[in-house]
Amino acid sequence: MTNALWYFARGSGVVSLVLLTVVVALGVGARSGRTAFGLPRFAVNLLHRNAALLAVVFLVGHVVSLLLDSYAKLRIVDLLVPFIGNYRPFWQGLGTVALELVAAIVVTSLLRQRIGARAWRAVHWLAYLCWPVAVAHGLGNGTDRSTWWLWAITMTCAAAVAAAGAWRLSAGFARLEHKTPRRVARRLELEEVR
Amino acid sequence: MTGATHAPGATVERRLLAGASDGRLETHLAEHGRMPALDAGQIIGMARDAGLTGRGGAGFPVWRKLSAVAAAGRPAVVIANAAEGEPASGKDKALLAYRPNLIFDGLQLAARATGARSAHLYAPQAALGAAGRVLDARRAAGLDAVPVTLQVAPDAFVAGEESAVVAAVSGRAAAPADKLIRVIESGVDGAPTLVQNVETLAHLAMIGRYGPRWFRAAGTPEEPGTFLATVGGAVTAPGVVEAGYGVRLGDLLAAAGGPSSRLQAVLVGGYHGGWAPADPALPVSRAALEPFGAAPGAGVVLALPEQACGLRETARIAGYLADQSAGQCGPCINGLPRIAATLADLAQHRARPGLPAEVQRLARLVSGRGACRHPDGTARLVLSGLRAFEADVAAHLVGRCLATR
Repeated sequence: MTNALWYFARGSGVVSLVLLTVVVALGVGARSGRTAFGLPRFAVNLLHRNAALLAVVFLVGHVVSLLLDSYAKLRIVDLLVPFIGNYRPFWQGLGTVALELVAAIVVTSLLRQRIGARAWRAVHWLAYLCWPVAVAHGLGNGTDRSTWWLWAITMTCAAAVAAAGAWRLSAGFARLEHKTPRRVARRLELEEVR
Repeated sequence: MTGATHAPGATVERRLLAGASDGRLETHLAEHGRMPALDAGQIIGMARDAGLTGRGGAGFPVWRKLSAVAAAGRPAVVIANAAEGEPASGKDKALLAYRPNLIFDGLQLAARATGARSAHLYAPQAALGAAGRVLDARRAAGLDAVPVTLQVAPDAFVAGEESAVVAAVSGRAAAPADKLIRVIESGVDGAPTLVQNVETLAHLAMIGRYGPRWFRAAGTPEEPGTFLATVGGAVTAPGVVEAGYGVRLGDLLAAAGGPSSRLQAVLVGGYHGGWAPADPALPVSRAALEPFGAAPGAGVVLALPEQACGLRETARIAGYLADQSAGQCGPCINGLPRIAATLADLAQHRARPGLPAEVQRLARLVSGRGACRHPDGTARLVLSGLRAFEADVAAHLVGRCLATR
């Protein structure tokens, strides 16, 4: 049982990283306002959201298994206050920071109707900070950090996010040139008073 | 279920429709005299004490809308809305033809109550010529402190919806808009805007002259005043009649000449309303119609004869409503034609098991998902039809029809 928790903690950490990468790429795709990755626009949005919620599930699993694990000795306070952990406090602290950023992004997204688009967007920008912090946490803290496969996964993820980021910053990305003109039923068009 | 709480004012009674109907200013002034000078607080107070509600369908208290627009503290815009795109309704056209001066009196009261600098009449093209001449006469008599501009209402079902009215008066196509900001806060050119049905304004003009107590003598204590009803379908003399809220359905139908054959049901509240039983003792009021998912709404009463198929009629209306979509929102563009076609299959004996459930599923799927309430109203009508003609639904599923036989 002890080992099971430990293995699960490591595995769920890696899965979270892959899912967060997918979420960032899809988020950039959703922001583009066009079809992306061969998906219609609503599907890009839907997949972005669902992948994010799935990432949260694995993140919770990652954290809870480490809390329960007798070897990791993670404490509740480590989830709230970064950089005071027992093992590699700096790298573990990055995990705490990433966790809190994810929590902020998820909570504001769920409350978007109430807090308004502007506040929501401001917090959502933190995703671009959250992802590299999470990657650094994995590379600096992860038990498997010296294995070739973790490096391969991390580099693939980094390449994907770098590509998405480059697309986001490219000149062609900024807003569709032509908004689809608003078309309504012809019978609603106006007439002059005769 | 009815009759026990019948209010004394719940009878057929002509108020707006009383007197001569030539629409001329002299006749109007001879009958009602000039409007007494009232300030904003008095007008809002009278509307509140009278318990006047909107006659365009939603039945919202008028004084609350007036005071909300007045409280915005910026120059407001008031609009008299005579766009009744609904084919079964004719009361706004009739009122505009016969009593235009009551409408314009009420529009001026609304303008004074809200501090408006501009006023509009939004009405079908056919009605604007005569309305313009009435406005000329009123200008010559120095009656209208706030000038009134005319705006053509397209002949379409959704063109009378509040945000569509604001769009049209702003010079855009008369399509309903999202309700992120209410038009009472930001309507025409960002000004706080009051959109009131023309019948509501005519009632306000009567209240301004004769007072809230007079107004409340008609109707019931909960729903005071009279309302205009467009009675059609299987009646001998279809047309516009007036009665206090709570009037017996039988009395209302009698005012339109009475049923021309035995009735199966009545559609109350128009194409976004619901089917109620053709019970002569049924009071036409919110409370009494609620169990049937109906309401007096804008006063449409459509009598369905016994030998007509209620499902076929509901399917016909659903088809019309689907066609009337503004074409903006997916659930409306795609959902309403599907609902109408599915209901038509049931009505035309192209039945397959699960049809009623499919109609219900689609109706739930579109409700609350448009910029306006067009999908909701259509879904409500269709569900009401399935309930009211439940026995016929069962008959249609096995290839028979109880009404047409």
